[in-house]
Amino acid sequence: MKKILTLKNVFKDFSGLTVLSGITMEIFDGERHAIIGPNGAGKSTLFNIISGLYKPSKGNIYFLDKNITGWPINKITRLGLSRSFQIVNIFPRMTVFENVRNAVVSRFNRCFNFITLLNRDVEIKRESDRVIDLLALNDVRNVPASSLSYGGQRKLELALALALDPVLIMLDEPTAGLNTEETRNAMQLIRRLTEGKTLIIIEHDMEVVFNLADRITVLNHGKSLATGTPNEIQENQEVNEAYLRRIKSAA
Amino acid sequence: MSHRRTLQLVLIVTLVVLLLLLPKIFPTIYINLFIEIFIFALFAVSFNLLFGYCGLLPFGHAAFFGVGAYTAGIIFNRLHDIPLPMTLLMAALSGFLTGIFVGIFCVRLRGAYFALISLAFQMFLFTLAWKWRAVTKGDDGMGIFRPELHLPILGNISMMEISNLYYFTLVVVALGIFTCYLFLKTPLGNSALCMRENDFRASFLGYNIFLTKLIIFSVSALLAALAGALFVLFEEFVVTSSIDINMSMTVLVMSIIGGTSNFLGPILGATFYIVFQNWISSITHQWWLIMGILFIVVILYLEGGLISLFQMERFRFWVGRRVK
Repeated sequence: MKKILTLKNVFKDFSGLTVLSGITMEIFDGERHAIIGPNGAGKSTLFNIISGLYKPSKGNIYFLDKNITGWPINKITRLGLSRSFQIVNIFPRMTVFENVRNAVVSRFNRCFNFITLLNRDVEIKRESDRVIDLLALNDVRNVPASSLSYGGQRKLELALALALDPVLIMLDEPTAGLNTEETRNAMQLIRRLTEGKTLIIIEHDMEVVFNLADRITVLNHGKSLATGTPNEIQENQEVNEAYLRRIKSAA
Repeated sequence: MSHRRTLQLVLIVTLVVLLLLLPKIFPTIYINLFIEIFIFALFAVSFNLLFGYCGLLPFGHAAFFGVGAYTAGIIFNRLHDIPLPMTLLMAALSGFLTGIFVGIFCVRLRGAYFALISLAFQMFLFTLAWKWRAVTKGDDGMGIFRPELHLPILGNISMMEISNLYYFTLVVVALGIFTCYLFLKTPLGNSALCMRENDFRASFLGYNIFLTKLIIFSVSALLAALAGALFVLFEEFVVTSSIDINMSMTVLVMSIIGGTSNFLGPILGATFYIVFQNWISSITHQWWLIMGILFIVVILYLEGGLISLFQMERFRFWVGRRVK
């Protein structure tokens, strides 16, 4: 199978504090890959490094056969990688429609267009409405994003990532702060919307992870403990000791 | 909605007719005042393009006003053969190029850092204008003659005739402001808004923060320089006061008093400022003090500026909705 993303021996330390030490992983075309691990394991740092927010201290990242190590964020995004954030990160004073439209304008590569009027752009409007439709945000289409419910804002966060129509989509705890019911709905939505796309997801809810993911990588103390199918991970002794057992006892 | 459209149309037509008739109605001294209002309206709009729409607050915006003023001044003073519109274009272009150069250093920064480094560049250009006497004549200033405007059918139009200057300024300013208005409605104008709202998120949507801000900065500088060139044409004189910190603060105070959350706010602010300043300075020499108090009152008690007075429910139909 074709490799979409490859991390080779990636290190990251913040002025002495080592957060990632030698992560090597491969993401294949069309797979749903979950990243799990206890708090502070380096999951979010890993996301931030892949998406270009941080530069790795050592190691290389390849995306679609290009070495994207050290590339600026927008260039990596343009190549087809889009991500969501653990803490909702949207354009609060713009409406839901305008939020989604911002992403669509970028996807159609019109950020620097100063010849046409944005309101008159039928293509952009149609595509924005399609994304809003997909996420069932029609009711709140013209509501400022800041006055959406928390669940609504999480949905919009997802909409922004999806509106770019990326090759690889990375979701950082898309269900953080949602209740059981909302989590279930959100996961159904994610499953449906990422059909045929490559997905990397950070998630704490083990039930969700084992249902959704094709493969799982377990991080602990900045190292990759194991990678494998949900079954392999559940049976892995080391993972059980480091992580899963702790969750079970907590539950 | 269509009711609102009709009202807006009626208001615009009334305004245009009024602006065209003003020189016939008012004596010369007021026409001078109107011309000054137009010029500063354009300057304030350029300021607000940067502050209100892109979220960058410059403390040294007079740098570009001054560059436009000096470019036009030097051309008027030394190169008499260049047609008037060409001079304005060259002044605007000089502002644009200065904007690119200064912007490269400024736009990566934000908040107070951006404000202060833009001030630093303005002080540098001020010093240049002050000390490079061979070119700028320093604090003696440089007098100019208003050139004639050559038009294809109408022939030569003298700018010494105040009503001609009025119409000329009106047309150039209206073009500048209208272009800016349309510019903000393009995808690039929308990108400026994204920079103000959440540039971090925008970069994860594929927006190039640096380039977007640099372009907006340079366009803003272009409009400011155009206003500066008109100012020289109007004053028939260019001196360091058009590039000093007072000028930077004037445009800032105008825009904020008028209201930066609406496209029309700075235009209202410039109008109010010039009229009020004219009136109050005829009463007292301490008019700066009064202006300062007014500025504080607006900041404390009228967050949206004077324009927000018109945005109360019963007026809302004609000012339009606030910039979000």
